[in-house]
Amino acid sequence: MEKIIIIKYGELTTKKDNINYFINALRDNIKKSLKDIDNKIIYDHGRMFIETSDYENVLNILKKTFGIHEINIGYKLKTNSLEEINAELLNLLKDKEFKTFKVTTKRSDKSYPINSMEISKKVGGTILKNIPNIEVDVHNPNLEINIEIRKNEAYIYFEKIKGIGGYPVGTLGKGMLMLSGGIDSPVAGYLAMKRGIKLECIYFDSPPHTSKEALNKVKELASILSTYQNDIKLHIIHFTEIQEQIYKNCPKEYMITIMRRQMYRIAELLARRENCKCIINGESIGQVASQTLTSISTINEVITTPVIRPVCCLDKLEIIDIAKKIDTYETSILPYEDCCTIFVPEHPVINPERKLARTYEEAFDFRTLNLQSVKNKNTIKLPEEKSEFSNIL
Amino acid sequence: MIYLDYSSTTPVLKEILESFNKVSTDYFANPNSLHSLGIKSHELLLNATKQISSLLKIKENEVIYTSGSTESNNMAIIGLALEKGKRGSHILTSKLEHESIYEICSYLEKNGFIIDYVNNDENGLIDFEDLKKKVTNDTILVTISAVNSEMGIRQPLKIIKQVINKENPNCIFHSDMTAAVGKIPINLADVDMASFDSQKIYGVKGIGMLYKNTKVKIKPLFYGSKNELRPGTPIVPLIASFSKALRIALEDIPAKNEKVTKLNEKICNKLKEYPKILINKNKNTIPYVLNISLMDIKPETFIHALEKHEVYVGSNTACASGKMSPTVFNLYRDKVRALTTIRISLSYLTTTEEIDEFLTIFNNVYTKLSELADKAQ
Repeated sequence: MEKIIIIKYGELTTKKDNINYFINALRDNIKKSLKDIDNKIIYDHGRMFIETSDYENVLNILKKTFGIHEINIGYKLKTNSLEEINAELLNLLKDKEFKTFKVTTKRSDKSYPINSMEISKKVGGTILKNIPNIEVDVHNPNLEINIEIRKNEAYIYFEKIKGIGGYPVGTLGKGMLMLSGGIDSPVAGYLAMKRGIKLECIYFDSPPHTSKEALNKVKELASILSTYQNDIKLHIIHFTEIQEQIYKNCPKEYMITIMRRQMYRIAELLARRENCKCIINGESIGQVASQTLTSISTINEVITTPVIRPVCCLDKLEIIDIAKKIDTYETSILPYEDCCTIFVPEHPVINPERKLARTYEEAFDFRTLNLQSVKNKNTIKLPEEKSEFSNIL
Repeated sequence: MIYLDYSSTTPVLKEILESFNKVSTDYFANPNSLHSLGIKSHELLLNATKQISSLLKIKENEVIYTSGSTESNNMAIIGLALEKGKRGSHILTSKLEHESIYEICSYLEKNGFIIDYVNNDENGLIDFEDLKKKVTNDTILVTISAVNSEMGIRQPLKIIKQVINKENPNCIFHSDMTAAVGKIPINLADVDMASFDSQKIYGVKGIGMLYKNTKVKIKPLFYGSKNELRPGTPIVPLIASFSKALRIALEDIPAKNEKVTKLNEKICNKLKEYPKILINKNKNTIPYVLNISLMDIKPETFIHALEKHEVYVGSNTACASGKMSPTVFNLYRDKVRALTTIRISLSYLTTTEEIDEFLTIFNNVYTKLSELADKAQ
């Protein structure tokens, strides 16, 4: 008897015409994320079965795969004879504590001599006979016993683990996540991935004003996000000169507004290059001066690419809850300054006017600098491929 | 022990030596062998070169491994002279170079090449007007080091290349970057060829590199394999550890510089209290090198006296024979000043505590020796 993992799709089954597109994408995603682990995937209508020797790791990966609704841990029998099933089942039930149970059977091998209902009845009878003080409850059982009869083999499974749901990453195209070192943007990225968007990340690096630690922190955050989509591209924009020009040429209270406008423009230029259909960021209404509705509108006017703000209407505590759940919180709160926290004026304008922002930013040649910054970007793929030589070199 | 002679050579970092050892034992096969062990070595070799080329933003085939800077300089200067030169061809260099450059030039001079020297100003900066005048159609090569080894004078390579190319676009510009790597940002787009050395960047001794832009053709000095400037079995342990040394050297240059600048200033502030000591430092010198003139104490006596307290500083390269420091004399035109130099060279590994202790020992040794010097007069 071998342990196996059974995967069930969630929302996918409601997609009528494109169902195959979504399922194939899910299968490809799973295949890719399990590439370093020995495994065999068996596809079946509405489910996938995974056989592996590294059961723990596979389970951990599947728990982070969008598009999976439910994961079951089961056992595979190399026969489908009812006696064998009964024997194995009784063996498995020895360690389980339950008062009520229910047996559900599926019979994909239609040539099997008895039908599903009867198998359930017979198996249920055997259990009642062999284990004292238990009864059948078809509505609210403590234990649900699932039996699946296949050609020359059978599966038995009990436990259900909730998957993270959503759509398989990539099925809805790509998006460019503006990733800072903070708490909000990784959460925004996670939520976007959940809706099937594959992420690429853009980070604005301002050495020497921002440190290498800050960059490493962002790399770490991107690596954590990459566990939900196999790998992730992080584009590092050298932002120092633009930021210094803003500092030198623009009124202090408009610095943040104008800086954000350049970031949006650069993100759009890069999104187009990388074929990303939207920009995603961690803006949350009212959280800081640049996130008032007026600010968002003044900043957003410089681009036409849709900007998705998944945490827009969440409270900080709600965002923190998700950050903790997805393991980005501890990294996000490391105290390194990013380019949004340096050069911050004491009183940034809360309701920046579009007209003024346009006038002020003409004080320096932002167009050329923005284009240059995209040209000179540095792109890395995370997690960084560890060659066997990485310790040597 | 307080080691303050990092410009002569650096100790090997533990992790670099570990790489060297690991490669020597685990990847010992000849990278040209066909079997799987050879293929592994070859793969490592390719990865090491790839890392170097991406660190320096150059092509992989522009990396040529040598035994060190002196060999790189020979390969670049003589190789180019043999390729492009004829009798009467003209090679330009500065008056602030390392001895080995002059030796190479003198060999070429004996073989009919004309060697000329560009002037510099009183701070050691190359005189661009003079350079402009001296670059002619016959000039095949200019070689000027990025950072002078004795005093740490740095040169603006980008401007120098612009001046050269304006006068003669075919003239090649080579720079010995040995004393610059890891200390100041370097840009290989500013030169056509450049020399590097592992032993000055905490790497294993016995390996260096020549960067040669693909468009530059040079004659090989060694023969043994077609299309290779330096034939022979690639020394993978040295190459891998050099690649690592370069990676570490190029990390955090601004932060390292800031730290060393503070140490340098700390020493200078203390040394200013000695009326006779002269500090040979100006706006073009890098903080890693602190050249001073003792004036009334012989440098070799002083170095040996410090050594008794396990403090190690450097002399000018020609010191042992009682010669003047060419760089110091060039800048200050003062024989005594040039005869009595010592070179204190710092590292980002140097600690404030070490400098404090150094200054105490320095004071004791100096006070004692200078009393003797006073009596002798």
